[in-house]
Amino acid sequence: MDFANLAAQLNAGTILPEGIVIVTLMGVLIVDLILGRTSSRWIGYLAIAGLLSAVVALYFQWDASNPIGFTGGFNGDDLSIVFRGIVALSAVVTILMSIRYVEQSGTALAEFIAILLTATLGGMFVSGASELVMIFISLETLSISSYLLTGYTKRDPRSNEAALKYLLIGASSTAVFLYGVSLLYGLSGGQTELNAIAHGIATANVGQSLGLVIALVFVIAGIGFKISAAPFHQWTPDVYEGAPTPVIAFLSVGSKAAGFALAIRLLVTVFPLVADEWRFVFTALAVLSMVLGNVVALAQTSMKRMLAYSSIAQAGFVMIGLIAGTDAGYASMIFYLLVYLFMNLCGFTCVILFSLRTGTDQIAEYSGLYQKDPLLTLGLSISLLSLGGIPPLAGFFGKIYLFWAGWQAGLYWLVLLGLVTSVVSIYYYIRVVKMMVVKEPQEMSDVIKNYPEIRWNLPGFRPLQVGLVVTLIATSIAGIFSNPLFTLANNSVANTSMLQTTKVVSTQASVISPEQPEGL
Amino acid sequence: MLSVLILVPIISAIIIGFLPGKAVPASRIRLVALTLSGIVLLWNIFILLKFDITNPGMQFREYLPWNDTLGLSYQLGVDGLSILMLVLNSLLTWIAIYSSNKDIERPRLFYSMILLVSGGVAGAFLAENLLLFFLFYELELIPFYFLISIWGGEKRGYAGMKFLIYTAVSGAFILATFLGMVWLTGSTSFAFDAISTQKLSAGLQLLLLIGIILGFGIKIPLVPFHTWLPDAYVEASAPIAILLGGVLAKLGTYGLLRFGLGMFPQAWHVVAPTLAIWGAVSAIYGAVIAIAQTDIKRMVAYSSIGHMGYVLLASAASTSLALVGAVAQMVSHGIILAILFHLVGVVEAKVGTRELSKLNGLMSPIRGLPLISALLVLSGMASAGIPGLTGFIAEFIVFQASFSVFPLSTLLCVASSGLTAVYFVILLNRTCFGRLANDLAYYPKVLWSEKVPALILASLIIFLGIQPTWLVRWSETTTTAMIAAIPPVEKTVISEVALK
Repeated sequence: MDFANLAAQLNAGTILPEGIVIVTLMGVLIVDLILGRTSSRWIGYLAIAGLLSAVVALYFQWDASNPIGFTGGFNGDDLSIVFRGIVALSAVVTILMSIRYVEQSGTALAEFIAILLTATLGGMFVSGASELVMIFISLETLSISSYLLTGYTKRDPRSNEAALKYLLIGASSTAVFLYGVSLLYGLSGGQTELNAIAHGIATANVGQSLGLVIALVFVIAGIGFKISAAPFHQWTPDVYEGAPTPVIAFLSVGSKAAGFALAIRLLVTVFPLVADEWRFVFTALAVLSMVLGNVVALAQTSMKRMLAYSSIAQAGFVMIGLIAGTDAGYASMIFYLLVYLFMNLCGFTCVILFSLRTGTDQIAEYSGLYQKDPLLTLGLSISLLSLGGIPPLAGFFGKIYLFWAGWQAGLYWLVLLGLVTSVVSIYYYIRVVKMMVVKEPQEMSDVIKNYPEIRWNLPGFRPLQVGLVVTLIATSIAGIFSNPLFTLANNSVANTSMLQTTKVVSTQASVISPEQPEGL
Repeated sequence: MLSVLILVPIISAIIIGFLPGKAVPASRIRLVALTLSGIVLLWNIFILLKFDITNPGMQFREYLPWNDTLGLSYQLGVDGLSILMLVLNSLLTWIAIYSSNKDIERPRLFYSMILLVSGGVAGAFLAENLLLFFLFYELELIPFYFLISIWGGEKRGYAGMKFLIYTAVSGAFILATFLGMVWLTGSTSFAFDAISTQKLSAGLQLLLLIGIILGFGIKIPLVPFHTWLPDAYVEASAPIAILLGGVLAKLGTYGLLRFGLGMFPQAWHVVAPTLAIWGAVSAIYGAVIAIAQTDIKRMVAYSSIGHMGYVLLASAASTSLALVGAVAQMVSHGIILAILFHLVGVVEAKVGTRELSKLNGLMSPIRGLPLISALLVLSGMASAGIPGLTGFIAEFIVFQASFSVFPLSTLLCVASSGLTAVYFVILLNRTCFGRLANDLAYYPKVLWSEKVPALILASLIIFLGIQPTWLVRWSETTTTAMIAAIPPVEKTVISEVALK
């Protein structure tokens, strides 16, 4: 094997965006070592520049003629590009949020950013990984960094508790996932590459055997943990409450997007023979998540906990697209995750801003905020209403597309449940808006009465403001001017050979098993 | 041309909402809002004058592609069913802004929300695409929630939340039905003309129609789903109640006519008898409950339930004349409810109470509120269906057209019309007549600016009552065409049903 051939097989260019992130990561670490604390003023911007250039690199890889890299270990197709973009962008906004937050907590910013970039790296690799070991390693990179980030404010007992909880549950779910993955390796006769596994399982004629179903369930346990689908959601409320807020902003978007990317790639490629089964399992997860997430969120008093349950519920909505399993279904997932990026990060930016100024994040303390801080009120209202799916905001179009795709695929009951739980969700989202906007001046909470004067020129507030304004504008108009995003989502699905080829396989599979899922 | 009706209010809502405090002082905001809504009203009248009443189809159509993936397009048009609703909407918006308190708290948000609602309602009446309609329909949700729960009465928080949840549920029903309509008929777009439900089986049509009826029935509101209405109407301030009752309720009946009768003509005939009874029950129920009220605003609110029952009866009868009557009833109910709410608002502002037991002798020429009471008498009579006023015309057309189809329900509605007279007589007797209590009656003067909206509406009521052509001519050709499209299928359905 000559060198040129080897280089062609490696096709290292497919991971150029990740390469940029790695270089940035190293840069951040080294600069921190050399300059110490003084670097913290601009090191955040260095990381943002790195991440943005990674996004630009992703743009140039769109529709690459040969997306397979590393002898099948990594697949840089358009689907992965979209998801890598989501992960990178969520890291960008997270850094904008965390510059002030981490400084204020008295910990080192550069270390934080370094761990965050590692998590980003893991998330980006997960999105494109197409080989079992690769998947596992990148998933672990993401997870271990997330544990560290959760416990980053180490003097805060709640942060410690959250980190411990996240670590214990996360490590066990990874172990379960690993067991499922090792079963796959065995069932397929020793293959680790996803397509080869699918082929191996098909030829070994173990399709729909008990072993395959067990492997499926174990894999879903790992994925369900990442996307915090009920009943694998138990870590979410506690971690969201305890962890530093920028971290949960990242976990709720970046880590979740990575989980969904993994779900699409793994389930579609490896498990076409048991497609009915995984659709069934995910239907159950979606029903549980939508009901539990939305109903329990009604009873929350802490903003971060409420957003935690809301993110469980939103995962339920996104799963409708996955269960539909059509082109429109996957595209609607991607579109929803894109707008979810804007609206959730906008919401979290406002939560951070509020807690930076007042030191609390209880919902009741928001009462009367419109008088003291109109921009914050506007941002949080718009993002929450968008999460509730109110037109003409981005979330409305996202939900419509999900429901539309679900209905097209015949998931009537699931869509109806989604509609009903959306109504429920409007109630608890509007509750916060009511606190901020509707309350009279005399009903103002004590915290608001002592609200500090708004100054954007304090160190670290400017990036927060930029992040808030950009995500706010995106949330407001990404629905009305949604055509580019729709085109992006549709093209990324249409250009992904994996989804297109497996459609053929799954129709063959459905010929073998004529029992199509009816309704659900 | 039509986009002006949507975009001007919405854009001005955004501008007013974000206008920096220094540029325009808060006291001027009302003037700005009034001017902008006045422009929209004039433009609307201009469109009304250009409207070709011999054309049964959509006019002034506009089309812009928006989102092909979803089948959503920006497609507008106006026909006889919607033209008067549009005028009503912009008229009542202008009146609501005009009659709002001059030194209202947080004027920016207030006027911006009213204009947003106005633009949204216009959009819903104009939309020729189901999803576009739904978008505008849901756009009311949050502004109205704010309008009720910020500037409302004592229990505004409760009323606002109740309104929000009911409307959100109604939206969920409607969206589910729309998705069903589009997907089951195999259409790729939500545009009205792309959907034909004729080829669906009778059972599916019925199912979808029930979804439509439930969804819009909450908004109209029909009797078991009406419980949000008394709270929302009573807790809302007068201008908001005008918009709620005058405009928003029409969205429900308009939706029922456009999507229920217009898109499911076959299934409509299956449910029509039920709807007729339902309308009659609503009418009787509204009237009887209104009799029992001791709060004048509550009385007016329940009168609204009764009057919307007539619209339902007429829609169920679905003859050409009945539909003309339905549209006429929608318009006249809008005007009458608006003037009633306005007058009740003035009475409450001047006297300080809405209790029937405390109000007395407002007719007294010097110390009372003579002009306001006179107008109250006039509008009470209009609401009760006294000839010479617009309420009579509309109700008479409804009854005349429905009697041949559903005699029993029509008789019940006539009876409820009599009951309407009963509670309005009670209301007028307790408020306008009698003697003023000497120790309480030092009421502030009624300003001219407070009389103007009522005078405009009252002259409209009288004019349309004497010259009813101007009420019915707009919708005649459209409704005739709607009915003409039905008969051939009607027979087949009846034979199908008979076979079963």
